[in-house]
Amino acid sequence: MTNSMSNTEFVTNLVENQYKVLKTEVLDQYQIAFEVKKEDVHSILSLLKTSGWIQLSYLSAVDWIKDNEFEVVYIVFNWDKAVHIQIRTRLDRESASINSVLPIYPGCKYYEREAHEFFGIKFPGNPDYEKQLILENWDDIPPLRKDFDPRQYSDKKFSHMEYKNDFVNKDGKVSKQEAREKRFSDADKLRTGGKK
Amino acid sequence: MNKQYSIFTSWRHFKHLFKKPKTIPFTSIFTKKNMNYLNNNSIIRSKKKVEMSNPRTAGDNQRGFHTNDWEVCIGCGTCEEICPTEAITMVERLDIKDEEGKLQQRPTIDYGRCCFCALCVDICTSDSLKMSKEYIYSHEDPNAFELMPEALWQGHAVEEGWVKDKASNLLDLERVHMEHESPDERKSSFIEIVRGYSKEYAKLEAARCVECGICTGSCPVQMHIPAYIKAIFEDDIEGGLRQIYETNPLPGVCGRVCTHNCESACAIAVKGEAIAIRWLKRYIIDSAPNDMYEKILMEPVSEVVDARVAVVGSGPAGLGAAYYLRVMGYEVDVYEEKPLTGGVMRYGIPAYRLPDSAINKDIDFIEKIGVKMIVNTRVGKDITMDKLEKDYDAVFLGTGFFKPRSLGIPGGDHKDVIGAMTFLPQVRDYERGVLKLEDIDVAKSIVVIGGGDVAFDVARSATRLQMLKYGKSDVKLTSLENEDQLPSSDDELFEGSEEGIELFCGNGPQEVMIKNNKVTGLRLWKCLCIFNETGSFNPEYDKECEQIIEGQQIYIAIGQSPDYEYIPESLQGKLQFSRGKIKAGEFGQVEYTPWLFVG
Amino acid sequence: MKEMKLFLGPQHPGMSGNASVHMYVDGDIIKRSYLLPGMLHRGFEKGMERHLWVNNISLIPRVCVVEPDTNEMAFAMAVEMIAKLEVPERAHYIRMIILEFARLSIHLMSYGGLGGPTGLYTLMYHAHTDRNTILNIFEKITGHRVYHQYIVPGGVRKDLPVGIEKDMHSFLDDLESRYEEYRDLGINNLSIQARIRDTIMLPKEVVWELGVTGIGMRSAVNKPYDLRKVKPYARYDQIEFDVPVSDYSDAYARVDCKLQEVLQSISIIRQCLIKMPKGDVRVPISKGQAMRWTVPKGYAYACVESSRGEFGYFMVSDGGTHPYRVGVRGASYPQGLLGVEKYLPGTRLDDASLWIDTMGVCSPEIDR
Ligand code: SF4
Ligand code: SF4
Ligand code: SF4
Repeated sequence: MTNSMSNTEFVTNLVENQYKVLKTEVLDQYQIAFEVKKEDVHSILSLLKTSGWIQLSYLSAVDWIKDNEFEVVYIVFNWDKAVHIQIRTRLDRESASINSVLPIYPGCKYYEREAHEFFGIKFPGNPDYEKQLILENWDDIPPLRKDFDPRQYSDKKFSHMEYKNDFVNKDGKVSKQEAREKRFSDADKLRTGGKK
Repeated sequence: MNKQYSIFTSWRHFKHLFKKPKTIPFTSIFTKKNMNYLNNNSIIRSKKKVEMSNPRTAGDNQRGFHTNDWEVCIGCGTCEEICPTEAITMVERLDIKDEEGKLQQRPTIDYGRCCFCALCVDICTSDSLKMSKEYIYSHEDPNAFELMPEALWQGHAVEEGWVKDKASNLLDLERVHMEHESPDERKSSFIEIVRGYSKEYAKLEAARCVECGICTGSCPVQMHIPAYIKAIFEDDIEGGLRQIYETNPLPGVCGRVCTHNCESACAIAVKGEAIAIRWLKRYIIDSAPNDMYEKILMEPVSEVVDARVAVVGSGPAGLGAAYYLRVMGYEVDVYEEKPLTGGVMRYGIPAYRLPDSAINKDIDFIEKIGVKMIVNTRVGKDITMDKLEKDYDAVFLGTGFFKPRSLGIPGGDHKDVIGAMTFLPQVRDYERGVLKLEDIDVAKSIVVIGGGDVAFDVARSATRLQMLKYGKSDVKLTSLENEDQLPSSDDELFEGSEEGIELFCGNGPQEVMIKNNKVTGLRLWKCLCIFNETGSFNPEYDKECEQIIEGQQIYIAIGQSPDYEYIPESLQGKLQFSRGKIKAGEFGQVEYTPWLFVG
Repeated sequence: MKEMKLFLGPQHPGMSGNASVHMYVDGDIIKRSYLLPGMLHRGFEKGMERHLWVNNISLIPRVCVVEPDTNEMAFAMAVEMIAKLEVPERAHYIRMIILEFARLSIHLMSYGGLGGPTGLYTLMYHAHTDRNTILNIFEKITGHRVYHQYIVPGGVRKDLPVGIEKDMHSFLDDLESRYEEYRDLGINNLSIQARIRDTIMLPKEVVWELGVTGIGMRSAVNKPYDLRKVKPYARYDQIEFDVPVSDYSDAYARVDCKLQEVLQSISIIRQCLIKMPKGDVRVPISKGQAMRWTVPKGYAYACVESSRGEFGYFMVSDGGTHPYRVGVRGASYPQGLLGVEKYLPGTRLDDASLWIDTMGVCSPEIDR
């Protein structure tokens, strides 16, 4: 096998010569990531497939709720030139839709279906993408979106187990724990900025 | 395939027919406790077998049921915090003794949720929580699966399974290093020793805190310590500043010199180095831009109460009162006899620990919110108490302890026996350029009496002056307490010895040696004990064990007494004093004189 | 004959895991089929986003019941890739030992599982007895028998206990000595051969179309396409081992490769025990106490060779105390979902469970 470092260089040249890449990241000698425009995704993937990246390892999405965007990720692999390539592209969150890559990678069929189920991204071109796959009778927003709160959902759906044990011993005095907790939450309210 | 197989090939397995089974028999995994349960519920037919069962011992790292030594556990609740399944709940136990550095609560574990990950064990701040080799437990009542781990598992001593070790430890026990000036460099100048955290370092240090709040209990003003440390970690200076100002109006000063009891109480200090709480606070203060200060300080003054308050003395107590009174909407005037405000902060603490700039920053902001400072005015001399009473709705006494307590030994009234509060203000004035080096009378060799922070302030300031004046230093420090019991903070002791101060701890001064009307030294007797049985101050000495240490000047830093001369006779009669302080009610209100409050 | 609707699983001795295959059969022949996943869906990907970096180690092994260690490894590698952590040398070797033991245990178990669809339960008993010994070793090292929670970002949680090498060696010697016996009982057994020879083919083209990895692929394409060889992780580049391959991909070839890998794993563990240096076994992800560990911003996809093929974790960090997104690529995704839909039809009904078993379909990793 040829030197691995040249593999990533090979890929970089291959992709960057023909397409406008928004960002290139070389993670290590076996992995490289390209951020590209939505229009280029399909032709880049075709190019990669014909160059030996015949396996679609993974397809999914990330919810960047602050930017109001979804990011779709395709990871492809070439067993002879061992480099995993991430192809990432951003979609508008409100009307997220990207043509299926079914003609290029038939293996994407269920990945796309799952991405639709969990994020609500549409994949026109995939005949089954709208069918439910894993979540039977789901009645809320797609659950991997950042605005879905599983805690709230389960509180709504399921009852909570309360133990009847009484380990508390206040010795007839006023609770200090509650006072502490109250002070702490009051102090927390003084906060305004910062990242969570 | 060259070998030919027949359908009998696999028959060779018949040889296993008479071998002993390798698997663990069902009956050998029950503990006594289960046995009772199982016998009652008759899952197994042969009770006899279960009774005789000999439970299999698990591997050494077994993550079985927890044990928790209540004596060691400090109730910090870190285990509750990390538990990924929310199995742990801290339960209040006020029957446990209330101790500094511990909270009166202990964890309970819901074994319906626990996944036996041992993260709680790996993060336990006191190493009290461990896992045992017990892995079987059954009961018909679901409530019986919430248990409170104690040192014994279900009343039995059990073998230890998974315990924390160096690799599995999840706490960060080492403090993030803060830049100090080197001892040689700092000895000969009054620059601030500690340079302060940079943003990255502060965040790293803040990341060590487990947010337990034990420190809050031992802070004199109960600051929201975990809250503002978290604010630092999350990069929210403004929020942190707000949390600090809610309880402490002089954070810049405090961040440098407070005695940081909180750090000795800190949960991390049980096993490692305490969080640098004081430095983190200082980081917030130092890095908040001025306009943020103003914004925060201005916020609370919403309504103005039509009442005037006079505050006597501009030390920490006076300024603190002034700040909160002002925030509550009162109009406040502060009276100070010295030309600069700040009291003990300004005159009593050397600049290498507390530079003027820090004091100014704090005081400026108090002034900015509308507190009026009236300096060079001694109440009782420049303005009478009666006038204050008439002009203001209330008077707050925030005066400090500036008069030296006397030594009470032969030679103790010699002019070269100098009180700390006479000397330290001179030092400050020298730093400000008010006094010149020549004006300060520092001898070539000095003895300091006292073991507190003030004694070290004196000794270390004197070292610096000697270095400047003579190029070398000779300072001895003697105290009643032994070295390991010194009331001063550890940094002082450490940095002081680094700077070359000789320690004569555990000795009591008996006589100031005077020759030709000049001080030559101090006679010391070994101190046997400081307090008598009833706990009152009554040192005993061993006369046999005598030593004389040389010195041309003796500095006394054994505490100060208050100076109440400014209070008129008429009033003094009405006040009651206890241990040098004015007696007052719960809220500082003085009996018989409802307009008078003390700090 | 009329078309009939049938379910295989979730409760069926030949079904590996809690999924079911929905089939339309005509006589003996399957006409259409779909996998019905979701019975074990636990929302792990969402759960991981909501757990701290350190807390995730209690969640991850649960993705796959029989082979938790590959999950831990892939997760740890993804974190290490983003945070650019240098794992101590000793930890690499300990990890390899753990991973190979895991491979042994799952290969034995699935070889024993062959007994399910073929009706030869003796195989299962033998396999489980040996797996039990492996679990004893795991218990001594990690504290647990099944969900080890042992490989963590930055290394492993604890050093190997003293004297564990002895246990390992005696188990490996024992297994090696009975290897031929295993073969004789299973794939050399003519009645089993009658079931698995020349059936359930997985031709090369189908492999590429579906994206099947692991033994399924190697037994079809005759090339050593094993992640441990093509992009070595841990210290697999320092170890000598062969990757068994075949060019005739029937069920027999796949089982054969699996058994040969057992021998390879034994040899890998022995080499590791010799080459393993002394030293630390863990570095923290970042400074501070574990609940405030952060991982810098970044994306990574880390994968390891599991017993069923490429097992990967896609991870996004926004620089905070929690992962921003974790995606799990289960190794049996392609053959389990698309494979069942496209290539199960046409086989006989009684081969369906054999199909599922020898292709290595594990529903927990599809469901997450
Ligand atoms: S972490 Fe340890 S010390 Fe703290 S409450 Fe839990 S058991 Fe006690
Ligand atoms: S072992 Fe894990 S799950 Fe159980 S109480 Fe401790 S932290 Fe929680
Ligand atoms: S500073 Fe120490 S005592 Fe205070 S909350 Fe943090 S860890 Fe707990």
